[in-house]
Amino acid sequence: MRKAMKSSVLRMLQNHKNTMLILIDIGAFGFRQSMGEYPDQIKNIGIFEPGTISIAAGLAISGIVPTVYGISPFIVQRSLEQLKLNFVYQKVGGNFITTGASYDFSELGYSHYCPEDVDTLKTLPGMEIIVPGTPKQFETLFAECCMNGHPSYFRMTDYGGKADIPVSFGKAAVIKKGAKATVIAFAEMLDAVMEATMDLDVTILYYTTAEPFDKETLRNHIAGGKIFICSPFYEGTFAHDIALAVKGAHVKSDELAVPRNVIRSYGTKPEKDQCFGLTSVNIRNRLMALIH
Amino acid sequence: MTSSAKLLRKMVLEMACDGGNANLQSVFSSIDIIDVLYEKILHISPYDADSPQRDYFVLSKGQATMGLLAKLAGRGFFPEEELRTACRLDSRISMQADRTKLPGVEISAGSLGHGFPIAVGIAWGNKLAGRCSNVYVLAGDGEMNEGTMWEAALFAASEKLHHLVLIIDDNSSLQAMLDVGDLGEKLKAFGFDVKYVDGHQEEALLHTLQGLSGERPHAVIAKTVRGYGARTLMTDNTWFHRAPTKEELKSLQEEVDRFDEEKLSI
Repeated sequence: MRKAMKSSVLRMLQNHKNTMLILIDIGAFGFRQSMGEYPDQIKNIGIFEPGTISIAAGLAISGIVPTVYGISPFIVQRSLEQLKLNFVYQKVGGNFITTGASYDFSELGYSHYCPEDVDTLKTLPGMEIIVPGTPKQFETLFAECCMNGHPSYFRMTDYGGKADIPVSFGKAAVIKKGAKATVIAFAEMLDAVMEATMDLDVTILYYTTAEPFDKETLRNHIAGGKIFICSPFYEGTFAHDIALAVKGAHVKSDELAVPRNVIRSYGTKPEKDQCFGLTSVNIRNRLMALIH
Repeated sequence: MTSSAKLLRKMVLEMACDGGNANLQSVFSSIDIIDVLYEKILHISPYDADSPQRDYFVLSKGQATMGLLAKLAGRGFFPEEELRTACRLDSRISMQADRTKLPGVEISAGSLGHGFPIAVGIAWGNKLAGRCSNVYVLAGDGEMNEGTMWEAALFAASEKLHHLVLIIDDNSSLQAMLDVGDLGEKLKAFGFDVKYVDGHQEEALLHTLQGLSGERPHAVIAKTVRGYGARTLMTDNTWFHRAPTKEELKSLQEEVDRFDEEKLSI
């Protein structure tokens, strides 16, 4: 997905001279050649995220569309007030691309994990939260949103899926229709969901936009009065969205997501998925229990 | 005190009385600086408020907002009568400004430590676009406790943003909190050109602001006094956060009128 991100950003810089990429000392190696080609449009600013987000907002006020690239918790949490007051409150647009996802940097410890990024950013009205599951989806969604004048957050993962479903901003994709339950998959969870439900009579909805959440598609596809949520974020991240979407309907639900605990483990990313039960086997078992 | 600055202070007192809330000491310490900027320095008017070539004034020290709004109204950015609606539910006027509501307000302020870094971004954007417009920022000395101010200062100096002018309203707030030491020396060490001035003397402010030159970003440390311009506001610290009653309004406006005669005795 990093390669897709790089080509997407370079395309934006090439096509729109009023755009800039600001690196928080991440991606400096990957973009080293491009820095020479776009000396006025790419800047490795260093490591001061709150000030950087404010400076990026100033660029936006001056007419430049900024794209800031950094590690999830340091943009989302260290700079949360700057995102709120300098982008949302000032009503200016910009792009924030992060690496690290929920716990991609699995050996680095809790400081570098951020399964709460989506939940946290959902407290900022107007912040677009985009969670592609594959490199191609990143390209599509970035091209669609990067110049739209809104603050847009793009969550990258190094563990993208294989199912390259066509996606568009703000819309859930209906992967298949069934009768027993509706399974909602977010971002890189789709592969495991598809494997788990291959022979099951269920509806699968795939979300790559976490905010604004596409309530309408869910409302129109509640199968069997049962909803099963599979997300790589903290559990409960979409509780509010789903409650609004199913308002008035009798629905049973269950969820597989990252437990709301301080994560003190290391190991690999797949090992953590295994620990948290984010596997196709566990998805199937929990889903069968919900259906029956 | 100039007649313009007196009028501005009296307008703010009326706003505070109507709105039922204010940071009058902070507004009065900043008001001469705001007045000089809009009267003599800034290239901006209601007719080119959105021009990319305009000068920018960024109020980082949001507590002085009522002074800025009174000045903007006086300069024709919006009707003066609107100032009388201060702090009402549906008003565009309050103690902190919202840039989406009012022309001439460059940033929505409130939380300290944000305006200056945003201004640095504006100055950087102007430089990248090849524009020579100046960006003036008014910050409080107490605001210099915020880490983001120093992050922005590092970057501004590194990029040699010489069209950036950080004016610090030094009304001795730092004496009551973490004292960061000699602000001027620190900013010099960060790479700023630093000047000192009496923040209540129009001629001195004008001379300093017009004389800035060189390749480094500028810092002007303006020595001020909280509540300057009315005896009661200067001597009674309960006025840091309160509004006058109708009776107090009349008395405070009279104090502003006779301030020049009695200031030596304060």
